[in-house]
Amino acid sequence: MISGLLGLLTTLRWLFRKPVTAHYPKQHLPVQERYMGFPALLWDDTAAEPFCTGCMVCVRECPTQCMSAQMHDNPKFASGESHRRKIIQTFEINLNRCILCGICVDVCAFDAIEMSYEHELSSFSRTGARADLGLLLELGGRYTETTQWQATNPEKNVASVALAKRAAAKTQAGEAEGKA
Amino acid sequence: MIDVRDVLYVAVGLFALFNGLMVVTLSLVWLERKFLGRLQGRVGPTRVGPFGLLQAVADAVKLLMKEDVSPGPAARVIFYAAPLLVFVPGFVVWLTIPFARDLAVRNLELGIFFFIAFSVLSIVGLVLAGWSSASKYAALGGFRSAAQLVSYEIPIIMTLLAVVVVAGTMNIAEVVEAQASAPYAALLPLAAAVFLLAGIAEVGRTPFDIYFAESEVVGGPFVEYSGAHWAVFFLAEYVNTFVIAALMALLFLGGWRWPFGADLPPAAGVALVLAKTYAVVLVIFWLRATYPRLRIDQLMSLGWKALIPLSFAAVLIAAAQQFYGWPVWSLTVLSVAILAVPAVLQVRLQRQPAMERARRYARRAIAERARGTGEAVR
Repeated sequence: MISGLLGLLTTLRWLFRKPVTAHYPKQHLPVQERYMGFPALLWDDTAAEPFCTGCMVCVRECPTQCMSAQMHDNPKFASGESHRRKIIQTFEINLNRCILCGICVDVCAFDAIEMSYEHELSSFSRTGARADLGLLLELGGRYTETTQWQATNPEKNVASVALAKRAAAKTQAGEAEGKA
Repeated sequence: MIDVRDVLYVAVGLFALFNGLMVVTLSLVWLERKFLGRLQGRVGPTRVGPFGLLQAVADAVKLLMKEDVSPGPAARVIFYAAPLLVFVPGFVVWLTIPFARDLAVRNLELGIFFFIAFSVLSIVGLVLAGWSSASKYAALGGFRSAAQLVSYEIPIIMTLLAVVVVAGTMNIAEVVEAQASAPYAALLPLAAAVFLLAGIAEVGRTPFDIYFAESEVVGGPFVEYSGAHWAVFFLAEYVNTFVIAALMALLFLGGWRWPFGADLPPAAGVALVLAKTYAVVLVIFWLRATYPRLRIDQLMSLGWKALIPLSFAAVLIAAAQQFYGWPVWSLTVLSVAILAVPAVLQVRLQRQPAMERARRYARRAIAERARGTGEAVR
């Protein structure tokens, strides 16, 4: 009887609180910092090309086989602008099949893919769920901007750092040779 | 000799009442969804019309557009008559419920008796609906409704009897007039509380909605109904809720007479009655938002072990006060004293003996350690 009255007070208190409802299409709540949205490809500013070399490891590891990719020889490697011999040519993720598991991010050795915050990618066209290279890079750009993303292994993956390191190693080797 | 004008007057009055009650039902549907939403941290309907005001209209249109089917083995005549048998008693009661001193379709001398007589009738409709649906769930729900409504009719009658004893009349308008100095909720808090609880049980609102419990009997007597016939049941539920709230406002909260006295203009009196009625309705919704549905055995034990004895006690208090000519305030004192009995009992029951023993041991251990005896309590 007494606890019942206390229960009434509890519900009454809620009457004077602000409802927690957010009217979704009009009102967007910020996503959590650790939110995992769709995977996105990242852009290496220093060489003006994607980080992705098209090694296909994510394509192979994807449990739902939602990705497909093709690579080709990187013309910028030939001209010495980049340390990447191969570069991605086409990349496509079927967002309907993607289960946002993040395995592609875990297996990537090139800092090329991240789980972005994107979750509102629905469209009215039947093929709208296919994210191509351009869209994936755009999502990645937005992600980089919002999170101030930094490569985890810049010596290996960021073109300017990697090239500088290689050049240093070469001169060192040259000096060593000269001494010898 | 029946006067034709008289019959016409009643017919027109009932027609107006019917339309008024439709509007009231729509408002109650909206109010319930909105209020329940706010009590649960939601916002309730917002999409149809401003503040979702047209949500109830949309619901009604949806129900009327639906196909009205009946199960093959159903007893069709009874199946289609049952919703009316549930709705009509709840509606006919309004014949005698006054909104102001002289504003009732027919202010019966035995108004309270009339209410009791007709409110019991809806049980027949529920049982027939359950039986004629040829469904186990519906039949179970029908039996449950019979058990519940018969049980809770007793406290309602007894609490109304207490009011009648104190007021000395069964005419609802005169009962209201008798509350000039203080509403009966203040004189008879026991009867008021029991009446409200039993009334909620009588209309089967949520803490007491055993007979159409969705999770147990999937809608009870209404399982097989759809479309307009289901809508009639729905209507009956809200009209009955409004009856209980209106009676609460008139018989216990002083109707139009309290707290502003007799020289209130009739329109303001009607507004006051409606405001009190809606306040009671909000309390009923509040109870719904707070308590989960009782089990059927809990329902029965609450009815028979708590409400019925308490309602008899309320009658006894009222009768003794009238018989011995005790002062009016003795009613309040006695009611509160009797209400305190279950509260004290429950506090005693809820005290946990194991926890208390543990606390005693701990206290002793601390004392012994302070004394340095080191004899720990095992």
